[in-house]
Amino acid sequence: MAASALAANAPLRPARAPPKAYWVGIAAAGLVAPVYSVTLALRVGQVSEVQLGLLEWISVPYILVGLIAWFRRPDSRLGLLMIAGGFAMGLSTLQFEHQNHLYTIGALFDIVPAALFLHVFLAFPDGRLSSRLERALVGAAYASAIGLQLAKLTLGAGSPDNLLTISTQTGAAGVVEKVQLLSLSAILLAGVGILTNRQRHGGRPRRPSIALLIDSFALGLLLAATLFVVANFDALSPAFLPVQRVTLVVIGLSPLVFLIGLLDARLARSAVGELMVELRPNLAPADLRDALARALRDPSATLAYWLPAFQRYVDLEGRPVEVPDRDGRATTLIDRDGVHVAALLHDGALDEERDLLDGVTAAAGIALENARLQAELQARLEELRGSRARVIAEGQKERQRLERNLHDGAQQRLIALSLELSLLEQRLTTDPEAQARLDLARQEIALSLEELRDVARGIHPAVLSGHGLEVALESIVAQAPLPVRLRIELDGRLQEPLEVAAYYVVSESLANIGKHAQATAATVEVGRKRKQIVVEVVDNGIGGADTESGTGLRGLADRVESLGGRLLIWTPTGGGTRVRAEIPCA
Amino acid sequence: MRVAIAEDAVLLREGLSRLLGEEGFDVVGQCGNADELLLKVRSYPLDVVIVDIRLPPTYSDEGLRAALEIRKRHPAVGVLVLSQYVEVGLAMKLLADSAEGVGYLLKDRISDVEDFLSALRRIAGGGSVVDPIIVSTLLSRRRSDDPLERLTPREREVLVLMAEGSSNQGIADRLVITVRAVEKYVSSIFGKLGLPSTGTESRRVLAVLAFLRA
Repeated sequence: MAASALAANAPLRPARAPPKAYWVGIAAAGLVAPVYSVTLALRVGQVSEVQLGLLEWISVPYILVGLIAWFRRPDSRLGLLMIAGGFAMGLSTLQFEHQNHLYTIGALFDIVPAALFLHVFLAFPDGRLSSRLERALVGAAYASAIGLQLAKLTLGAGSPDNLLTISTQTGAAGVVEKVQLLSLSAILLAGVGILTNRQRHGGRPRRPSIALLIDSFALGLLLAATLFVVANFDALSPAFLPVQRVTLVVIGLSPLVFLIGLLDARLARSAVGELMVELRPNLAPADLRDALARALRDPSATLAYWLPAFQRYVDLEGRPVEVPDRDGRATTLIDRDGVHVAALLHDGALDEERDLLDGVTAAAGIALENARLQAELQARLEELRGSRARVIAEGQKERQRLERNLHDGAQQRLIALSLELSLLEQRLTTDPEAQARLDLARQEIALSLEELRDVARGIHPAVLSGHGLEVALESIVAQAPLPVRLRIELDGRLQEPLEVAAYYVVSESLANIGKHAQATAATVEVGRKRKQIVVEVVDNGIGGADTESGTGLRGLADRVESLGGRLLIWTPTGGGTRVRAEIPCA
Repeated sequence: MRVAIAEDAVLLREGLSRLLGEEGFDVVGQCGNADELLLKVRSYPLDVVIVDIRLPPTYSDEGLRAALEIRKRHPAVGVLVLSQYVEVGLAMKLLADSAEGVGYLLKDRISDVEDFLSALRRIAGGGSVVDPIIVSTLLSRRRSDDPLERLTPREREVLVLMAEGSSNQGIADRLVITVRAVEKYVSSIFGKLGLPSTGTESRRVLAVLAFLRA
């Protein structure tokens, strides 16, 4: 079994973990940075330890957590971006050096970390910028942080150690700096807007650790934007330092929250083990979803089973389910032995935990296949039920149409014809023979009408459509071959298919009683019990009715079941027969 | 005698109207639906209306509802309901409150012109008419310990005619016996069935039908 993401971000071939030389080098460099900073602080003397400490507070965690992220998901650029952010931060501390080259490098990197952090935050979780707007924003941030910085330095900004100075134009450098700080501030605020907008449309992540992480991103960007605005107006103001420190603290928090998220995911992964225990061989398919939701820590998780025969997804009851194939972030397709089995619909944040998803879906293996089979069975039953209901409803409509045609056509004409003959008969007072023959003809017509009436009634009892169950049943009971006690407790008319089904249950049962039961009395009861119409026909005959052969009872069961009801028959030998239909009724 | 007819089958309506015209009835109005009939009943002083039980627009119970409405609002107007099928339950609905000036017949009966016209006159005069099929259905109904078995064949004949709405005179004419003899049969029948004597002939119809139906 393998899980694969629907979305385009699923790699065809997983990237490999970083080579040893790389990560050892990066880790070593990352650890050298704080040592270097401390010596720098001791050597230079005039840099505050707090300031340097805060810079390391950001650069070291970003490098180390970036390494972890790179290991976890080598195919994602996020880890590399974090490492880059950490190093850029570290390099920017070089501006405290007095040595020309080192100072110039540090000054060049002064603002770069802001652009890199924006990039990291917007590229979370998969390391990719998902929209043109985001790419443009990040591009503009780099242009401002590197391009304008370069321009500023060539105009002689910063200390005299600046090696890039071409000609010192203090005024022009000041203007460039204003543009740089304000534009960056605006770009970072736009980044905050994108993050909040994502939450508004995509919903807040259900995993608390992820939600917290996104919040720390937004807060960090907001503070950085504030910092740039303050710096723009007065870098020497007493407000600058506190704002700068708070900003650095918050930005440095992000990798920690990221770590907590990873830890949370590890905890979740241990749930795979619990899931294995829960998935006993006889786990009811209905409980599978709950078990998966628990293991994934995502109460919103649902399963949709793929039915190749229907080319659609269904739930456990066989009802069609829409699986969004565009919003792939929240959908994991589950295959088994190369055959697609189901789709797991889950919180988008879980896409970051592909191995957890893989583990859970793999553990669910057999249980999932069982559940899919059940869903397929239900879907087929549902389809069958639907087509049976359609066949019966169509048949009923056709019968009603036939009866109407007979009533409006042949029967009316015969009655009119009979009337015409009798008017004629009255005029032929002088010809008794003709009168007698006309009278005979009228009697023939009367017989035909009687036969037609029986035929029409057999096709469809018009009295039922016209006047309801109570009136229609009264006639059946009156004509029954044995004494029948009729009790109907209904408030008004029922839906037509229900009335027709109840009518046939009674008429067919009474006919059966007359033919086979040797009963001396019967009762017919029709009533509403909770949300059901219950029709019960009971006799005191010999019981032991044959419920298998013959189409009568089968046909009744079809009618009742097509309305979602059921037909029950008790017929103990010597103990009478009880036929009970229960039909749901809104 | 002033009559209105509500029947949607034109051929039949025309035939009926012609028959009644020739027999000296004044056919004040003929129409194809229940609303028009109700309008005519409100507009003209009528003695009797003939109404098809199955009328547009839905061909379900429009005719019956119109008949019940006329019985309620215009008790002086006799109502004859015609139908291509007759049902015990419908007869009971129609006669629920009183059997005075009401009739329920199979449509086929129209062509037995003499019987039909006399039924119509009886209804116009406040009497009752119940289709023989209803009565025979009720009579053939199976009962445990059937009290009808205690009746003589002659008494059974009288019972049937009573249930169909015949007056004592009508029964006497039909069976070619004296009215006094009919009265004797009637009181004997009521005694055997344990029915209280009811006075008017239309009340008698209800009592007998209710007994047979129970």
